[in-house]
Amino acid sequence: MPKRRDILAVVLIVLPWTLLITVWHQSAIAPLLAIRKACHHLVKEIFIIPERLAVRRHRPTDDTAEGHRDPGQGSDSKEYCSSDKDIVEVVRTEYVYTRPPPWSDVLPTIHVVTPTYSRPVQKAELTRLANTFLHVPNLHWILVEDSQRRTPLVSRLLHEMGLNYTHLNVETPRNYKLRGDTRDPRIPRGTMQRNLALRWLRETFSLNSTQPGIVYFADDDNTYSLELFEEMRSTRKVSVWPVAFVGGLRYESPKVNAAGKVYGWKTVFDPHRPFAIDMAGFAVNLRLILFKPQAYFKLRGVKGGYQESSLLRELVTLNDLEPKAANCTKILVWHTRAEKPILVNEGKKGFTDPNVEI
Amino acid sequence: MRLKLKTVFVLYFTVSLLGLIYALMQLGQRCDCTEHDAARDRTISRLRGELHSLREQMKKPEPTNPPKPALPPTIHVITPTYTRLVQKAELTRLSQTLLHVRQLHWILVEDSPHKTVLVSEFLVRSGLTYTHLHVPTPRESKLQEGDPSWLKPRGAEQRNEGLRWLRETAGGRQGAQLEEGVVYFADDDNTYSLQLFEEMRGTQMVSVWPVGLVGGMRYERPVVEQGRVVRFHTGWRPNRPFPLDMAGFAVSLRLVLANPDAHFDGDAPMGFLESSFLQGLVTMEELEPKADMCTKVLVWHTRTEKPKMKREDALQKQGLGSDPGVEV
Repeated sequence: MPKRRDILAVVLIVLPWTLLITVWHQSAIAPLLAIRKACHHLVKEIFIIPERLAVRRHRPTDDTAEGHRDPGQGSDSKEYCSSDKDIVEVVRTEYVYTRPPPWSDVLPTIHVVTPTYSRPVQKAELTRLANTFLHVPNLHWILVEDSQRRTPLVSRLLHEMGLNYTHLNVETPRNYKLRGDTRDPRIPRGTMQRNLALRWLRETFSLNSTQPGIVYFADDDNTYSLELFEEMRSTRKVSVWPVAFVGGLRYESPKVNAAGKVYGWKTVFDPHRPFAIDMAGFAVNLRLILFKPQAYFKLRGVKGGYQESSLLRELVTLNDLEPKAANCTKILVWHTRAEKPILVNEGKKGFTDPNVEI
Repeated sequence: MRLKLKTVFVLYFTVSLLGLIYALMQLGQRCDCTEHDAARDRTISRLRGELHSLREQMKKPEPTNPPKPALPPTIHVITPTYTRLVQKAELTRLSQTLLHVRQLHWILVEDSPHKTVLVSEFLVRSGLTYTHLHVPTPRESKLQEGDPSWLKPRGAEQRNEGLRWLRETAGGRQGAQLEEGVVYFADDDNTYSLQLFEEMRGTQMVSVWPVGLVGGMRYERPVVEQGRVVRFHTGWRPNRPFPLDMAGFAVSLRLVLANPDAHFDGDAPMGFLESSFLQGLVTMEELEPKADMCTKVLVWHTRTEKPKMKREDALQKQGLGSDPGVEV
């Protein structure tokens, strides 16, 4: 009957199309959509997990520095989902408290520049320094090694600590390391490393970026109170404060007049230096560093104690200095030095296993 | 009419045939994408799995197999200290390390006839759970100006005072929780990694581990074979009963309370201070090795240089010394 034939024909026409359409939808379109959704959803979930779990995003960079940044609250989840590599690494922190405070979008970042070199107490010094820094919010540690290559000891330490860091290295040429003869053209220890950090900062940040930052030069053997970092966070140009145990005194400090301006230096060792202050006694606003790209620590021909002046005189005048620490009356940083450990019992061949890291 | 329908059908057939062919081509192409998608799929499911397991972890207080009490055992850190220029700096950075350790109780014992203002105020601001004690070292036992640091054992009276306080306070209470503590003698100038405190938390009797930069060597350590301490690797007087540094062992509070006579002998010869305490408590076989069977260095016996005060002294003679009101 014509009706049946028609029905058969219609069925035969429609059937393959319906099959095709259902198969198409199932295998192609839906998964793509699902993946996008799941990715975004998961990324959001993971960032919201509080307290015990630290989430780190490892962004492999091409330049010599190895950067390591926390994602922060306001990051875009699309960025993570579009990359091909495994990008979200959920790291379980066993020791609950060994994580820095959550990154804040409001606080200025403190970029702490620390030159370091290999010696027996290095790991101990860096460990206790890191224990201090783990308390400070929005801290970015720029650790510069005086070595030909980044050492595994420091790399491992930085990776385990959980701090926001950048690991650089530059070797001070051997003839220029500290030697006894004052007439030798010597580069004071740490200068090349600090300069490299300044250069890295200038290459990484631009004047246009709105991220405020403070640069502080912290040696690895000093002692810093947590209050110090909060004092320096409000630096507009260059801020200064007293430092204990320098210049052969209980402390050295800037002289502050009643108007709150620095007019001199309370120190015995060459108080007529342009900036008679220790490296640990001042901090510079990042914008100023970027604004004056020629300002570096002078490498050669610098008399003892004039290192700091060689940088600061290119950045500010005495009048622009901002006194902190209650108008320079409180001690918040101590220029401690670790004793060189006596290793006599090691003997010539070495008594202990050199593979055990100390 | 019929002719029209036929042509319509023919057209429809050709169109659908072309469409099917096109779809087949698409199907062929999709093979590459499925690999990519599968990888993503795997990532997503792995992440999902981790998220789920982490959420589970968060719900439970301690996820490991043996059921642990709600609070981990408290670590009682006994630190003797004495007034000198670098005291505040040393205590500051030690407190910055200790602040990271949960369930820690700091027993700071001053070598002084009374509590000093510097330490009292410092402890209040530190944010730590602390007990502030003091006991002066008798004059004969005290190091004089110019004496080398190794001449007389230091801190013995202060550590004994810490032990006495613990016995008095903890011994009186009956709670089993309180007895689940660990006692560690931490000097104020050493450097401690955070991992160390977690290693010592499970101490049943006396646990030991290597100490860096001590005994004239890179590190000193107990030698462990088959999970037991068999001897000690040290270059200085290895024949001592316990050739360890003060920073290289921790004692369980239970053991301290069970042996009320165990104390540090201030008259012990150089290097025997630790042995004078441990001898009555435990034998070498009973020691619990930590830090990966005593192969890792988690604590360093650092010492801080005495700051040079030449100019300060010169100024003070002229009466122009720095303001003593400013605390350093």
